[in-house]
Amino acid sequence: MSKLQKQIRTLVGRYFDLPSDVVLDLPRITTIGSVHFYIENHTGLLHFSDREIKIQYKQGHVRIRGKELVVKTMLKEELLLEGELQSVEFFPDS
Amino acid sequence: MGNQHDFFKGTMKIRVSGKLIAPFLQACTKRGCMISNISWVREDEILMTIRLNEWTTIRKLRKKYRCKVFILEGKGMPFIQKRMFQRTSLLMAFFIAVIFIFLLANTLWSIRVEGLTPELQANVEQKLKSYGVYPGRLTFGMNDPNEIQTKLLDDLPDLLWIGVNKRGTSYHLYGVEKIRHDTDLDLKPADLVAQKKGMIVKTFITQGRPLVEVNQIVKKGQRLAAGQLVEDEDIYVHAEGEVVAETWYKVEQNLPLQQVIELTDGTMSKEYRLRIGQMKLPLWGWWGESKKDLREEETTKKMSVLGWNLPVQIQVSTFYQIDHSTMKLSREKLQRLGIDTGRQSLKQTLEADAEIMNEKVLHQRSENGKVKLILLFKVHENIAMTKYISQGD
Repeated sequence: MSKLQKQIRTLVGRYFDLPSDVVLDLPRITTIGSVHFYIENHTGLLHFSDREIKIQYKQGHVRIRGKELVVKTMLKEELLLEGELQSVEFFPDS
Repeated sequence: MGNQHDFFKGTMKIRVSGKLIAPFLQACTKRGCMISNISWVREDEILMTIRLNEWTTIRKLRKKYRCKVFILEGKGMPFIQKRMFQRTSLLMAFFIAVIFIFLLANTLWSIRVEGLTPELQANVEQKLKSYGVYPGRLTFGMNDPNEIQTKLLDDLPDLLWIGVNKRGTSYHLYGVEKIRHDTDLDLKPADLVAQKKGMIVKTFITQGRPLVEVNQIVKKGQRLAAGQLVEDEDIYVHAEGEVVAETWYKVEQNLPLQQVIELTDGTMSKEYRLRIGQMKLPLWGWWGESKKDLREEETTKKMSVLGWNLPVQIQVSTFYQIDHSTMKLSREKLQRLGIDTGRQSLKQTLEADAEIMNEKVLHQRSENGKVKLILLFKVHENIAMTKYISQGD
């Protein structure tokens, strides 16, 4: 995506008050306390263990660290994580 | 797509091991698989749950990603079904139970006959038995209610009508009895005589020659109507009719002026005992205060198993609190009470169509705390009685 297109998208999104995950093709992440982690619009699982999980999205990946992590459900674009979350870090592709 | 769906379709828990687990999962989800409960065992090995119908996709993909897949366990309907068919005894028991329930539901359990006299009811039941309709029989091959109805009406001439209704596992019969008018009347010549002394109030002689008039006083045994229609001629009939006369009854009553009555005020306690033969074992409620001022009522519950009476019974004693209270009545009230009780007891000795007209206090005297009451009741009743004429042959 070119820089110009991105800027236009942001503007349009702001103007029409659209949710940014739709406009910018970004994942929507919801956490419930540090117990649940729910991500929509991801593109794949990069790494999986019970302490660290990496999930890819269009423009980067997220790293979740925690204890006893379990993927409760995994669908094409959704993923629900359970366990003791410690950190969520973003690594956008520059 | 909740758990219900998963349960019916079946799910499987599998173990996946290999180097390319993450891409393998990615590929699976891309093809529409729903993977749940992914838990990490160690590097290159995970456990996860998949749907049974997605198994083929996973099997195809595992070679491409060089993963090894082991099935650990299956859950849901398809597996339960499979397991059930493996256990033939369970399946047999199930079918036997179904057959049993079916048979029980098609058994006649009770017959209720209503609206008939006991004798006729017994007759109906006997007839039903002869048709093969009795409790405990299967309803297969039994005649249908309409047929039973016509058969019963044919076989029992005393029945005017009978309705046969099948309700579930029971038959309800509602019958109407024919009122038989006796045609063979007793036609032996007879007189009507007075049953007791009285003053005639009303006469209604349907057959015979009346001998008395209204306001006439008759003695016991006096002829009221003659069966001999004309004097000195040999035409006799069975005299019949009603002669209502005023009769008198004297009733004596002794009533105490003061009465101690025991009233229960509703507070009660219960005591349970187990009775085996003559032995009594207290079970519950044996404690508490003395049972002196209490009225005791005892009931014994029989226990039976399949129609057999057990030798063990439960005895329940209920103790009611008693309030003694003295009732002192005024003379007028006492008199009223005496008249009422006198009337009640007289009514029981009289026939149903007799009518107590009025009463009079003849005498009232009180002595030793008691009131002596002599009452006179005037009653209108039928005094006619049939007496056969002996014609000397």
